[in-house]
Amino acid sequence: MNKLFSLIKTDLNVTFGLSSILYSFKAKRQRWQMLLFGIAMLSLIPTYVLFLVSLEKLYVSFRQIGQQSYFLLTGFLGSQMIVFFFGLLYVMSKYYFSNDLMHLLPLPIKPSHILTSKFITIMVSEYLTSIPVFLPFVIIYGIKGRVGLLYWIYTLLALITFPILPLVLASIVIMLLMKYTNIKGKRDLIRTISSILFIVLILYSQLKIQNLAQKAMLEGKDFYFNLARDANLLVRNLGLVFPPSMWGALSLANYNKVIGLTNILMFVATSIAGFALMIFLSERIFFDGLIGNIEVTATKGKDRRKDLYRVTSVKKPYLAIAKKELKMLIKTPIYLMNSVGGVIIGPIIIVLSLFTGEQSTEPLAQYLSSNMDIVILASIGMIGALGILNSVGATTFSREGKNFWIQRTLPIKAKDQILGRVLASIALQVLGGFVLIGCILFIIRLDILSILLILVLGLIASIPMTQIGMIIDILRPMLNWSNPQQAMKQNLNVLIGMGVGVLYGGALIILVKFMLNKINIWGIYSILTTILFISIIVFSIILKKLIEKQFREL
Amino acid sequence: MLKLNNISKSYNKGEVKAVDNLNLEIKSGEIFGFLGPNGAGKTTTIKMIVGLLKPDEGKIILDGVDVWQDSLRAKSMISYVPDNPEIYDRLNGIEYLNFIADMYGISKEERTKKIEYYTKLFNIEDSLGDIIGSFSHGMKQKLVLTSALLNDPNLFILDEPMVGLDPKSSFNLKEIMRKMCNEGKTVFFSTHVMEVAEKLCDRIAIINKGKIIALGTMEELRAHAKERESLENIFLELTDNE
Ligand SMILES: Nc1ncnc2c1ncn2[C@@H]1O[C@H](COP(=O)(O)OP(=O)(O)OP(=O)(O)O)[C@@H](O)[C@H]1O
Ligand SMILES: [Mg+2]
Repeated sequence: MNKLFSLIKTDLNVTFGLSSILYSFKAKRQRWQMLLFGIAMLSLIPTYVLFLVSLEKLYVSFRQIGQQSYFLLTGFLGSQMIVFFFGLLYVMSKYYFSNDLMHLLPLPIKPSHILTSKFITIMVSEYLTSIPVFLPFVIIYGIKGRVGLLYWIYTLLALITFPILPLVLASIVIMLLMKYTNIKGKRDLIRTISSILFIVLILYSQLKIQNLAQKAMLEGKDFYFNLARDANLLVRNLGLVFPPSMWGALSLANYNKVIGLTNILMFVATSIAGFALMIFLSERIFFDGLIGNIEVTATKGKDRRKDLYRVTSVKKPYLAIAKKELKMLIKTPIYLMNSVGGVIIGPIIIVLSLFTGEQSTEPLAQYLSSNMDIVILASIGMIGALGILNSVGATTFSREGKNFWIQRTLPIKAKDQILGRVLASIALQVLGGFVLIGCILFIIRLDILSILLILVLGLIASIPMTQIGMIIDILRPMLNWSNPQQAMKQNLNVLIGMGVGVLYGGALIILVKFMLNKINIWGIYSILTTILFISIIVFSIILKKLIEKQFREL
Repeated sequence: MLKLNNISKSYNKGEVKAVDNLNLEIKSGEIFGFLGPNGAGKTTTIKMIVGLLKPDEGKIILDGVDVWQDSLRAKSMISYVPDNPEIYDRLNGIEYLNFIADMYGISKEERTKKIEYYTKLFNIEDSLGDIIGSFSHGMKQKLVLTSALLNDPNLFILDEPMVGLDPKSSFNLKEIMRKMCNEGKTVFFSTHVMEVAEKLCDRIAIINKGKIIALGTMEELRAHAKERESLENIFLELTDNE
């Protein structure tokens, strides 16, 4: 047990950098960065308030049909889904790709102990990401429904346990995936593709089940009669996509009845049982996926020598930097899933949800076709947003990590650094742009001109977004990481970048909204382009100054 | 060619004075050895020369160029091999070398010739197509050495270069250093291996607690010490602080 506690303590300390946070608080030059961080966080507040307001409206609309328990189900499902999907990434990198494994493996520790300590660290990260979603649901329900003390006790129990089961599932899925894809050769590629396929599959089947349940319920006799009679009707039917979420919702909604008690017991008991199952499985399959991970394929081929001249190619410095950035993104599974996966999966989700919706897409298509300008502007906005959402800009210097010395000792112009790194990010936006346009084409027809407008203006809009991320990242690069996951997923720079990006993008959206219907659409496009270009120039100047300073002084 | 004027550097807000008012002048065509016990300040000094650590005080001048003012020009003349070769482990060998060569703007003929020559010399030419993550410590070291030699540096700076190299490679490295000096280039390296310093270096500095405590040719060092036989004895005598 002592071993386990010390493992947990060390892992938490290393992951969240508790020691180095304390250390950096003492340093003076960190303080104004904290200020910047604070401002960025504040800028997220309006978005969050908007989220709360719309939740409240949602609650009211469910109560009107007497199905407010469905509101709770939405909360459980939503936050447990978040835990599951983040969990897949966290688990993959923490169980299989973190550097401390090299030190832990030779030690006489049971795999289940290693996993438990890592599981708990991930739980903490999961609480941080999912509680802001979970809490508003239970609190709004509690306050509006004037509930009793027992409700809050059940809530506390649910709050503590809700991430366990999805995280257990994510762990098991990843452990199985790693075990069966532990194949020499293109291991990383196989794993990335299979995880993306898996995510799409899961999403698809979730939506499908929900859809079927919905249909069955609507077609069943006396739907409206049942709806009025059974306050848990929606939960019982639509909760089938993930029964534990259903139990959670049922227990809170019926806290003052026996089924409330049985459901909360089920909820907690399955969490504990799931955890035990995972630990049991880990003793058997964890090492199978891990061993061989450290070994990388080396060809040791003599034939490589002859074509040395052929594989040697000369590139302009900025192109060489862009190429290297992309190579590293593609060859590091964690980066690949976060950046490329993100720009691909986003649009796919949109299409899937429209298609399994079964209700004909006709009205939607008709509405969109008669508002082409809005469609184009919104698409431009989406591609632009990818510039910050792909996390490439906001982690570009952090990702260098311990290799940062290489570029700091080379004679590289700041201009080339900016251009190269922006280009790498744009390459992803191009990919995202094509996927998005493909998705839109599923719903409505677009002419060539519109497609060009979306792509060109979208890419231009993504440049200042990427640059905002880069400015933040060069101000406080996170270089001391042991696991690529930390450079990308646990990097606050991404969050700060999103905050500042929301402010910048929000200002542009307000401006466009103001101009809409007042100015000719082409006038809006040209004003927008002008503003974007001015931003790009201003941000480039700031970046150049900062890069020169930071490359010298870090 | 390389001048360090009153260089100081401390860590943790002045709590640890790693380099203390250091002065040093190194001529062109010289192999200069930098010795000192662990924690003496060798790596810190080297990092200040190559642009990784900004000195708190003082100036570093290379061929009339202030290293910290006109850093791009200085960096194009310097090549640096760190004590711990942390390089992009997801790239393969040839991709890494091409990347470095692109940063220096080296032509295709030139880089192919050099890559061929040095990788053959260090016996890593068969591994160039493999990703660096699969390299041993010594192989990484050799790859960094190769990349550092691509641009014909005027100043070649190495931090404990012999650590982890096999006997043949460290012999080859010494030959390369000699050849560079004959061409009028400067080599500056730190080491803990006394024989290497003794046989290879034109001049030697011994640093302790951030200060230079002895500087000169082997002959001059001998003249200062009581124990006159080997560098090892001189080193032990000078760095022995009660
Ligand atoms: N990043 C750092 N933060 C704080 N102190 C440091 C740091 N790097 C070095 N020091 C301190 O500076 C002093 C000089 O260290 P340096 O690495 O220059 O020694 P060195 O001569 O290279 O030693 P070695 O022979 O072990 O490589 C030591 O006291 C060390 O503790
Ligand atoms: Mg050292």
